[in-house]
Amino acid sequence: MTLEAWSQLWPKVPVLLQGLVVNLELLAGLLSLGLVIGVVVALVEVYAPRPFRALALAYEWFFRGVPELVLLFLFYFGPSQFGVEISAFLAAVLALGFRSSAYQSQIFRGAIQTISPGQSLAARSLGMSRLGVICHVILPQALRLSLAGWSNEFSSVLKDTTLAYGIGVVEVMRQARYLTARNFPLALPAFIVVALMFLILTYAGNWGIGLLERRLRVPGLEVRG
Amino acid sequence: MRRGAVLVLAAVLSVGALAMGQPKYVVLCDIAWAPFEWVSAKGAYLGFDLDVMRAIAIVEGYEIEIRDTPFDSIIPSVIAGKGDIGASGFTINEERAQVVDFSEPYWTSDQAVVTRAGAGLDVAGALAAGHKVGAQRGTTGAGWVEEQYPDVTLVLYETYPEAVLDLLAGRLDAVVQDVDPSKQAVAQYPGLLEIAGIIETGEQFGFLVAKGDPKGILPLLSSGMAKLKESGAWDLLISAYFGPALEEIEAAWEASIDILLVEKDVLKFAQTFAALVAE
Repeated sequence: MTLEAWSQLWPKVPVLLQGLVVNLELLAGLLSLGLVIGVVVALVEVYAPRPFRALALAYEWFFRGVPELVLLFLFYFGPSQFGVEISAFLAAVLALGFRSSAYQSQIFRGAIQTISPGQSLAARSLGMSRLGVICHVILPQALRLSLAGWSNEFSSVLKDTTLAYGIGVVEVMRQARYLTARNFPLALPAFIVVALMFLILTYAGNWGIGLLERRLRVPGLEVRG
Repeated sequence: MRRGAVLVLAAVLSVGALAMGQPKYVVLCDIAWAPFEWVSAKGAYLGFDLDVMRAIAIVEGYEIEIRDTPFDSIIPSVIAGKGDIGASGFTINEERAQVVDFSEPYWTSDQAVVTRAGAGLDVAGALAAGHKVGAQRGTTGAGWVEEQYPDVTLVLYETYPEAVLDLLAGRLDAVVQDVDPSKQAVAQYPGLLEIAGIIETGEQFGFLVAKGDPKGILPLLSSGMAKLKESGAWDLLISAYFGPALEEIEAAWEASIDILLVEKDVLKFAQTFAALVAE
């Protein structure tokens, strides 16, 4: 790795950043999909009747049990067997989003279960409906409590977006490979820069989630078993 | 033309053609294998395979969309109907011909054995028993070493550049790869790498389509190739792409590609492109 390689790489950093934007788009898509489905799966696992609970558990078992790269290939090649055309980007959002929802559901389930059952009993005795209890008593507390675990999931899936490279999404790894395929000596500097980009993003994201956690904290609220 | 405008223009043209009712085929290519296909410093897709695909599309009256796909995924994608044509320096072989259909051969390639400069090895020396030899996974070079030299330790890599970096780092004794990409690698490390020798495997490259050619693409490819050869555009493209340094090819290509994409004049493009490279 020479100084010359670094000076050749420097003008290419915007190209890598262009790729990184695609990773961020993937991240936004998969986190929101994972969040919505994750909350639903967690609620079903805790509150729904047995058959639904079994279904949610099976969902979670599948998406936590299959390797991510395999999921990506299943979602990319699978739908075309049924005549459904799916782009590499959408396949990546769905595969990684469903997978993330399975992990996120466990974060939310844990948080829901730390809220003392006495609270729902009390709310019910005041005449609140079951749905009302979940929406107004349980979730506002549980989602706050989830933030710490959720920042862990954020850091993990942020890096997973680079796997989309395997099905041909032109994201930052693919851009790095374009550079190295044209100019071999750029390989090491290019990957060092990509590593730095992710280090910065992980730090910034976790800092943001920490800030959110402090902002949303309810003074005086504590969790008792 | 401004940066990126070429790509935008290509996209606009392909959308326009769809409206005009020309058929459109998706071409899959792993765009990281100069000089057959690579991404220029300005981000454009170029290379011999890609320009041949563009030129044939023009002379045969159809549109193409070039989609970058990892090499291992191209054949599965064509089988699954996610792409129509595989154009990525595919060697025609039995195993592949069982699952896809090939066009007639468009290129003959041999394998080169690359070593560190000054290692003083010939082919036999580089592939001596106990040596570590690198190759790209899924390539015919890897298969060839495995069959012919069972006593060397074969190390497989996802991409060719990784194998070259390990050779430079001293972790390998040699790397086996097709002649033209090998020459490009040696050119990038003047004084550090050399070609120990060429093994005449006489492999033939073909474009590939789904088994049974359900969309009737092979006759178009074959007639298109014949037209390009007859007009002389074929040989001009070869002279432009095989030999010169990548920077020179890119500069000439960027100055002339509009003739192909906008004016749709295949021969004039090939002439201008080859003349600019030769300068």
